[in-house]
Amino acid sequence: MRAYELIKETFFRGSYIWIVHVAWLTIYGVYWWLFLPEQPEYGKFVFTWGGFLLPLALSAGILGDDIASGRICVLVTKPFWWGEIYIYRLLGLSLQGAVNLILAAVLAIALHTLTRRGSVEGIGPWLLATWLLFNATAALSTSLSVIVRRTYNSLLLLVVIASGYFIVSMLMGYMGPQAPKGVFVSFVKYFWPPFELLFKFANGDYGKFSLTVGKYSVPKDIACVVHSLTLTVVYSVAGIVLLTRRQFSRERD
Amino acid sequence: MTKRTKTWMIVVGLALALEGWAIYVVGISPERWRPAMVVRDEPAARAVYEAMIQTIRSANTLSYDSVCGDAEGRASFYKVRLAKPGLFRVELLNIPSLKDATLVGDGNDLWLFWSGTRSYLWFDDEAGYEKTKSNRYLKKPVAAGRDSIAEEIARIGIAWYACILDPSTFYGRTSELDPYVDGIRLAGTDKADGEKCDVIEISFLKAQRTQHLWISRQDHLPRRIKEILRVADNKIVVEEWSNIRVNDALPRQTFTWSPPADWKPWSVPQPQDLLIQSGQDAPDFELSTLDGNKVKLSDYRGKVVWLYLWRCGSPQCRQELPHLQKWYEKNRNDDLVVFGVNSTDDKRILQAFLRENPVTFPVVHDCSSFARKAVQDYGDKTATMPMSCIIDRQGKVVDAWLGYEGNHQRAMNALEKAGLRVTTDN
Repeated sequence: MRAYELIKETFFRGSYIWIVHVAWLTIYGVYWWLFLPEQPEYGKFVFTWGGFLLPLALSAGILGDDIASGRICVLVTKPFWWGEIYIYRLLGLSLQGAVNLILAAVLAIALHTLTRRGSVEGIGPWLLATWLLFNATAALSTSLSVIVRRTYNSLLLLVVIASGYFIVSMLMGYMGPQAPKGVFVSFVKYFWPPFELLFKFANGDYGKFSLTVGKYSVPKDIACVVHSLTLTVVYSVAGIVLLTRRQFSRERD
Repeated sequence: MTKRTKTWMIVVGLALALEGWAIYVVGISPERWRPAMVVRDEPAARAVYEAMIQTIRSANTLSYDSVCGDAEGRASFYKVRLAKPGLFRVELLNIPSLKDATLVGDGNDLWLFWSGTRSYLWFDDEAGYEKTKSNRYLKKPVAAGRDSIAEEIARIGIAWYACILDPSTFYGRTSELDPYVDGIRLAGTDKADGEKCDVIEISFLKAQRTQHLWISRQDHLPRRIKEILRVADNKIVVEEWSNIRVNDALPRQTFTWSPPADWKPWSVPQPQDLLIQSGQDAPDFELSTLDGNKVKLSDYRGKVVWLYLWRCGSPQCRQELPHLQKWYEKNRNDDLVVFGVNSTDDKRILQAFLRENPVTFPVVHDCSSFARKAVQDYGDKTATMPMSCIIDRQGKVVDAWLGYEGNHQRAMNALEKAGLRVTTDN
């Protein structure tokens, strides 16, 4: 019951949540209508918008708002482990992501059936990759929300991740194969939300650039899923540790 | 320790192990070489392959677009137009550098030119590049059927990746790897570029190199070619064909080009020209041998050293190595040291090769960046193998050259110049 209440609270914590969902689905629909995309174009579009930008929009101030308003003190006085607040909020986000992506798929299938154009073939792996990326990004943003005021968690994450990828792509673009694959690149590859790995997984690159003949390389694809789930857990554990060690004040922050 | 702590420790340990496995699997190159990767010949698969070659060769004109790329996102886009006799136009664009190049064959000559500034190539230095980066063109005679377009692109280094299937196949040219095909087998069926394809697997040089070809059942032309080169770090390149047209009329002006008035001719140095020169000090190195020991060149002052750089995947090296071993056995003495330096191959492939072709001189196997730098210090910037370098007792280079000349005469001359009496292997 407690879990249900906390998850439900995530869904209904602000009217803007519904605006975000409707806006995202409208964006998917407009993109389809304008470009009639073949796969994997639609998959790539959903991956970027649904896997990275959607969790940022939905998790803005997910804990920071409560901390700033002093409401967190009401929550933590209840007789349960504080970490549960974090876990159920994240679970609520994850469910919202899943629902949004299912609706995105339904929308694409409906538009494909109506227009008889574009393609929805191979949409499944893209949706799975998007959801995994959504979870990792949402966990990172939620953890950041424990220490960053109000809704700045999402903004900060957007700026940091975008800058990091910009630097890496500049390095790779300028230096090509000579680019140093040093600590920074490895850090971005394995410790940041797994954009590149999940993109390759959904795009079939692991099958294309491995010894297999088909589209997928099963061990690498499983490894990608495992890695992204591990990252989600690691980000979450960091957030839970931060949350359970904080002292909260009833005063408005 | 409480039961709960123990349970948590087990859970965390398992999670770490799983994550370790995931990072390893995601990070590693494709599977390492195994003897089972050597393909056995299947007549049905060979028939599919030969039908493809026959279709390409029997066409009067052939045009297609292809993209050759790797998993890191580097790719070379090609627009290939071929006509008989000996006419071609290959337009190439590299991603992400966006440097282009065009090769035109007018039946007599090959012209190479760039629309803007050319890319920085392996033989360039700052001053030379600034002088020649634009308004230059290269012209050289070319013989259809003998000269290779793909090899020319690779030799000059203008593309991230040269075409895997050489466009010169159209003129009847055969690959130097053809005699080293282990076998061809059917690997199933798949769809590529919207076409139902037979997929065949070809292994070369005891699976040191493997190719998968997706060949359309409809027109017998390839739609995708995947090449796996098993060296110290495996490389996979995929070439994908699209917009294929056979026997279309191609306008004659496609295959002609003449340089604008203010453009100047330009030439590319041969790899041989950049090798270390006679009389220079031989750069010192310390590298690992196949059996795990260290070898330092300067420890052999007072002896004449033949440095032989080679790799298993080079047909010339495969030809030369048995002769070199025979010669070494005949001329073995305390004043002569031969080092076979291999800084390219996977250790297991090398060991398997040496089991079949045993040598008694020390084999250095070191694929570290130090080893690669050592090879470059001797001027072998393109890693063209084999490369030989004779070093005298004072540590000076007597002679250095690329390739196998058949009778070791150049080596004999250099060794005699270094003060060693030797006999030929004939």
